[in-house]
Amino acid sequence: MKRLSALCLIFTFLALGWAQSASGAQAAGAADDPPATLVAAPESSGTIGKSAEAGTGTSGTGIPDKPETIVVPGDDAGETAPAGDIGAEGEDPGEGEYGEPAITIADPLEGYNRVMFQFNDKLYFWVLKPVAQGYREIVPEAPRVSVNNFFTNLAFPIRFLNNLLQADFSGAVAEAGRFVVNTVWGIGGLMDPASSKQLDLPKHDPDLGQTLGMYGVGQGFYFIWPFLGPSSARDSLQVVSDYFLYPVSYINPWYASTGTRVYQEVNRTSLTIGDYESLKEAAIDPYVALRDAYAQYRQKKVEAAKGNLEPPKPGTLRIGQAQRQLSLLQEPTQQESPNEKEKR
Amino acid sequence: MKRIVIGLCAVLLIALCLPAYSAPDPMDTVKSYISQGMEIVGNKGLSRDAKIKKIEALYEKMVDEEELARRSLGRYWKSLTPAQQKEFIPLFRRVLENAYIDKILSYNNEKIVFSKQSRTSGNMAEVNSKVIMASKEIPITYRVIMKHGDWKVYDFVIENISLVQNYRSQFNAILAKETPAQLIETLKKKISRKQA
Repeated sequence: MKRLSALCLIFTFLALGWAQSASGAQAAGAADDPPATLVAAPESSGTIGKSAEAGTGTSGTGIPDKPETIVVPGDDAGETAPAGDIGAEGEDPGEGEYGEPAITIADPLEGYNRVMFQFNDKLYFWVLKPVAQGYREIVPEAPRVSVNNFFTNLAFPIRFLNNLLQADFSGAVAEAGRFVVNTVWGIGGLMDPASSKQLDLPKHDPDLGQTLGMYGVGQGFYFIWPFLGPSSARDSLQVVSDYFLYPVSYINPWYASTGTRVYQEVNRTSLTIGDYESLKEAAIDPYVALRDAYAQYRQKKVEAAKGNLEPPKPGTLRIGQAQRQLSLLQEPTQQESPNEKEKR
Repeated sequence: MKRIVIGLCAVLLIALCLPAYSAPDPMDTVKSYISQGMEIVGNKGLSRDAKIKKIEALYEKMVDEEELARRSLGRYWKSLTPAQQKEFIPLFRRVLENAYIDKILSYNNEKIVFSKQSRTSGNMAEVNSKVIMASKEIPITYRVIMKHGDWKVYDFVIENISLVQNYRSQFNAILAKETPAQLIETLKKKISRKQA
């Protein structure tokens, strides 16, 4: 009897999934677009959850769990139906408050961090910004962009090594290509011919924090460095490694090296005046806003690297991506729980 | 057994009653709003105030403000009384407007490219776009939800940072210590400070 009801359920879902895919799902996803399949996958996970609920709901207390265990694999195997949206349709959209996984970062040193936030904030408004503004008055935008390009090009070892560490060999080759092209044809990196339409070697910016994150190292706690700004326990390792990989660090004497870095920073700031101000303007609590922005930004970057890790194989596209999606969804909560324990 | 059958019938009935709408395309919807916005901003015949009025009207059509506010408050939404919720929504909009209106008005015919759309769940989708500027590209994702047969924006993800989540983290931090009434006061103060 249980089996019959489960079969009925499967049938219902398949039929509905088919009906829905004809109207709704297709309307949303461009079929030729691989990412569209990528997102079709979590839908089926939504259906699993819902069908399980429906199963227990209808079978009542007498038959616990059974329909669930039958329905779930059945629904998964039913590849034909881009498993309908019933799950989400039936779901009260009003209650799905956490549609997106909450990305958080632990902040046990909040007291220190808030002080350091104030320090960097004042440093920006009292020193860096006025200097950068003066500099901007004197030097037109084009040369400032060139200087920025030059320093970016110079940081090639950081990107190249991290491409290798991430096993992103095509990225490493592209990065090496960019370096050669920009150094030779871009006058030592002042220009960026590699990004031009003809060559189309777009910029990527892999870093050590991302590499570590890709291999499962969590953020750890939030930490604001004086002068350098927001970071975390994990990303602080990057501060160290970048120091050794960045050629400017090897300039002698030390004050020339520091001076170069300061100049680089002033130049960079002259191109981004207004960004920090608007973040602060929009924020109710700027400290928390910046912390969250940092956590979200880093998380997305790590996810992007993970996405590069395993190129989808033609046949297994849907399942593989569904799994990855699921693991991505679960990851923040896994990271969150130890953090919360720490707080208590 | 009876219960199972009844339950199944119920499921079937509910499912069949779902409107077999021919859903409008999320990307087309967002695109049309954005191009309307571009037109308003690019219209040289309008004064700044007139532009702002029109942008506001467009924003009201484009965004599901309650959804946006509710998600931004997260689990604290319910700790606000209905009256406070009603008060909160326009205040929150003013905060956003003050923060972003200059950015919007400074738009100067930069190219906007809509790259893809994807369903995130049954009634939600994401539309990815990019603003292409001379020195950089800014990715903007619009998260939309189906409401009354129309796609409404409920979150903007700018450079990979979700607006809703960013505000949620702030509101959560504030409401962990303060009452909703105090939060509303803070918002009011923030807005009046901008006007002063």
